[in-house]
Amino acid sequence: MQTFIEILSPGFLLRNAVWTSLLIGLACPLVGVFFVLRRLIFMGVAMPQISSTGVAVALTLHVWFGHYHGPHDPTERLLAFAGSVTFSLLAVLWLAFLERRGRGLVEGRLGTAYVVSAAVSILLLAKCPQAERGWMNLFKGEIITISSADLGLTLATFTVVLFLLWLFNKEFLLVSFDREMAITLRKNVAGWDLLLYLLMGLAISIAVLSVGPLISFGFLLIPPLIARLFANTMRQFALLASAIGGVGALLGFVLAYHWDLPAGPTDVALLGVFYAIAFFAAKWRRSRHQPEISSEQSSPAA
Amino acid sequence: MNPDPLLSLNGVTIGYPGHPVLDNIRLTLHRGDCAALLGANGSGKTSLLKTIAGILPTLHGSLVTHPPNGPRPVVGYVPQREAFDDVYLLTGYDVALMGTFGRVGAGRFVTSTEREFVHECLRSTGAGELARRPFSRLSGGQKQRVLIARALAARPDLLLLDEPTSGIDSTTCAAIMALLKRIHAERQLTILLVTHDLGLVRRHLETVIWLADGAIRQGLVTELLTQERLNELLHLS
Repeated sequence: MQTFIEILSPGFLLRNAVWTSLLIGLACPLVGVFFVLRRLIFMGVAMPQISSTGVAVALTLHVWFGHYHGPHDPTERLLAFAGSVTFSLLAVLWLAFLERRGRGLVEGRLGTAYVVSAAVSILLLAKCPQAERGWMNLFKGEIITISSADLGLTLATFTVVLFLLWLFNKEFLLVSFDREMAITLRKNVAGWDLLLYLLMGLAISIAVLSVGPLISFGFLLIPPLIARLFANTMRQFALLASAIGGVGALLGFVLAYHWDLPAGPTDVALLGVFYAIAFFAAKWRRSRHQPEISSEQSSPAA
Repeated sequence: MNPDPLLSLNGVTIGYPGHPVLDNIRLTLHRGDCAALLGANGSGKTSLLKTIAGILPTLHGSLVTHPPNGPRPVVGYVPQREAFDDVYLLTGYDVALMGTFGRVGAGRFVTSTEREFVHECLRSTGAGELARRPFSRLSGGQKQRVLIARALAARPDLLLLDEPTSGIDSTTCAAIMALLKRIHAERQLTILLVTHDLGLVRRHLETVIWLADGAIRQGLVTELLTQERLNELLHLS
């Protein structure tokens, strides 16, 4: 409890890391809900990795121009953001095209994209030890060096993304749930799909830049998967996922700080524990309610 | 058959790029028609229904609505129930509400009047009590009622149903057909439904569109579903 009070105090040295972690924990699951609904779990894993390759490319640009020991100044943060966004959006457009075409093994391509992007990142960074250290910290989920500017950028981006997801929720839900119905209602299905993917890509790129790919895909996927086990409505699904993410982020940070562990992996491992507990709790709950559901389903059909 | 046409296909080719299903077809749907779309598996029934619904673009030729310069008829589409993913935590009401989304602009919220209208549609299809139940846990017949309510919530001129009675027991099947007949009589809707069930068509419908050998035959049940014509259509003679 003392650790908890300490990390929430305004004078706490790592307060930016705490607030960023909490923000990612609350916001990423709300975006992740759409990954689960559209059954794009693999995409939720591959996208942050591809996005981090964008960061690696941006951080090693000077090596490409023959300056192996170039300076790493604060402006490269902007370059990293540009790299992350560019790679995320290009990947999202490519994956949207694959999903729309609906041919071939999409999971296979996503898996390939994941491993190839990880390998390319490592190769790119091999020639620049300074950038490699920064990228590895990002990859491992070391989030202690977040500046106020990064926190502000993360907050602003997620505010825009979540506002648009809320505002156009009915359109996104319609095109995701019943594409054909959406067409008969004369909705621009391709346009709404594209906007949804762009918002997902933007959320991922800023999350990756702030906390790295590990925490990003942990918070994108695990809280919605847990929430799906207990929620009864879409609203409950989204709010519960966000609450689980928020609690996981805060508690993970407390544990990491208390035991001197890296915050990112602690957060994700904690979410894994939550998922395991939730899975068995849901199974137990289902077994208790099974007779009730069965009798409900056997009621007159129409 | 009502003489007032709603839409027609003149020399239209439908199907998928590189794989036409029906070529150079001619068909007219009249206002107030209540017709069955019959044919063997793979004859192109669903493709034709999806083309009329605007889901599948024509490969050649175009679909003409009447009057040609008037507003396009609003379509209420009832897909096959199996098309829906259980991962969505939607109630019967949530699903039916989607029918109003064609009238509600992007980023706008559904008004209370529209919400009340959705409840009315659910009640009119006998699905009032299913409004709060999870859609994924409804039986086949219950889902069908909710989907018909959703199509009605679109305030359609044309109701298109893809195999609304497949996999449903005969009692529920009869109840759904009675519901469609009542909707047809009350709202003067044009209804086109895909089915395999000849008995059902004979008992409940007047008009038939039959797809066979890449051609369309359109006529009254009393003309097209006689034993002689059936033998001819099914090559049994």
